Amino acid sequence: MSPRTPLVPGEILLEHATRSFDVRADAAGTLRGLFSRAGVSAELTPERIPALLDVSLRIGPGETVGIVGRNGAGKTSTLKVLAGIIPLHHGRAACGGRVVSLLELAAGFSRDFSGRENIYLQGALYGFNRNEIDARLPDIIEFSELGHFIEVPIRTYSQGMLLRLGFSIAVHLDADVMLIDEVLAVGDEGFQGKCLVRIADRIGAGATLVLVSHDLSAIERACRRVVVLDHGRVVFDGEVAAGLERYRTLVRTETEATL
Amino acid sequence: MLAYRFLFTQLVRRELRQKYKGSALGVVWYLVNPLVMMGAYTLMFGAILKVQNIPDYPLFLMVGLAVWSFFQASLTAAADSLILQGSLVRKARFPREAIPAATVTVQAVTLCAVLALVTVITLAIRGTWTPWLALVPVFLVALYLFLLGLALAVSVLHAYFRDVLPIIQAGLLPLFFLTPIYFNTGHLGYVERHPWIATVLNWVNPVAPFIEGLRAIIYAGAAPGVGRVLYGVLAAAVALLVGRTLFLRMQGELAVVL
Repeated sequence: MSPRTPLVPGEILLEHATRSFDVRADAAGTLRGLFSRAGVSAELTPERIPALLDVSLRIGPGETVGIVGRNGAGKTSTLKVLAGIIPLHHGRAACGGRVVSLLELAAGFSRDFSGRENIYLQGALYGFNRNEIDARLPDIIEFSELGHFIEVPIRTYSQGMLLRLGFSIAVHLDADVMLIDEVLAVGDEGFQGKCLVRIADRIGAGATLVLVSHDLSAIERACRRVVVLDHGRVVFDGEVAAGLERYRTLVRTETEATL
Repeated sequence: MLAYRFLFTQLVRRELRQKYKGSALGVVWYLVNPLVMMGAYTLMFGAILKVQNIPDYPLFLMVGLAVWSFFQASLTAAADSLILQGSLVRKARFPREAIPAATVTVQAVTLCAVLALVTVITLAIRGTWTPWLALVPVFLVALYLFLLGLALAVSVLHAYFRDVLPIIQAGLLPLFFLTPIYFNTGHLGYVERHPWIATVLNWVNPVAPFIEGLRAIIYAGAAPGVGRVLYGVLAAAVALLVGRTLFLRMQGELAVVL
């Protein structure tokens, strides 16, 4: 297959994806950094830690994939690369169709604006126009269960309310690829259930879910494939039960090593 | 890019509202601040220092001051813009140029409001009705695009290198005094003895041709000069080209550094 075949909606492709980060505090804030194109160099020096090392993954439309791994294994980096927020140093990352991500709870919100205004902003960030958001607005507001709080600046919202708003927007944007990091765990059971139903609907329609979480029961419920990352590499890719077992072994050996 | 037009208008409207949010006078502040500045400078340069003998000095001053304020406010606000909107950059993949572009556009709204007011008053008092007024929009569009280019450059540079904004602020102060806002370059005593200084002041400083051109039309009712029109258009084209190239080359790591 040619490497530049356009992806079908919902398809996800990582080919030899490699990315490292500079951990020096002043990495980008120096004149030298500026003229060496701000840390774009990919060499691995002691100050550069690898986040992804030669990761190749192919995920088909309608798949539900959980990514697990210890802290610093490259889970969040994988999502950010797929979302197109951070670039790769080597390799290729591509998603087919519209990618919607929930990576940080408060990202993309502006605190001084009402829930309603933030719905428009978030929609606009994903390239929707006013009419397209108008059409979805009643459903989003109803799904969020925020009631009259939708007119109140979101700086007054609790974490839970923020989560409900973020999720309600994300699940109404007709995503072909949904990238979700951890946040699902914050909501109450009832709302979580509602989200999972809504996500399942999208998946039934051919959308793909990639979920990063330390909550293994959430992964068991939502995913049918598990990828285990360790030190930026894929160490397991397959069935859920075996994947979670592999992950538990990793955590166990780490605990034993530190004892 | 077209799909994100709504994002751009959203960003502009939000910033316009945020600017004077919760203040009693609201949008009126757009005009109050420049008028207060005009008053102060008229007193300083027109009465106390008496830089030059220029008729209707407040009106002479105001055209230059409006352009300068736009230049200064756009540069400083654009430098901070990506940092202030870092949360959006970390959220999704969208054309990030929209952020500094929205900032400059908000400043352009103020410029247009102030300049419209000044033009109406100047025309009423000095009667400078000429066909040259048709060239005002040309200067304004060129000035807007010129700053759009500079904004793209400074916003992305400042995101990586946080000394850019202090450097700009330090540079703007002396530049203000070298810009023909409160004086006419040709009529300075020293310059009359050394004409080359006028050339430097008028053409090396990229703000000067915009100010001189607009002032020739609005204040003096005269031709702005082909050179100034060309200079403006060329400055806009170069700034846009350089700014956009720099932005696109450097924007990749924004989500990492913000």
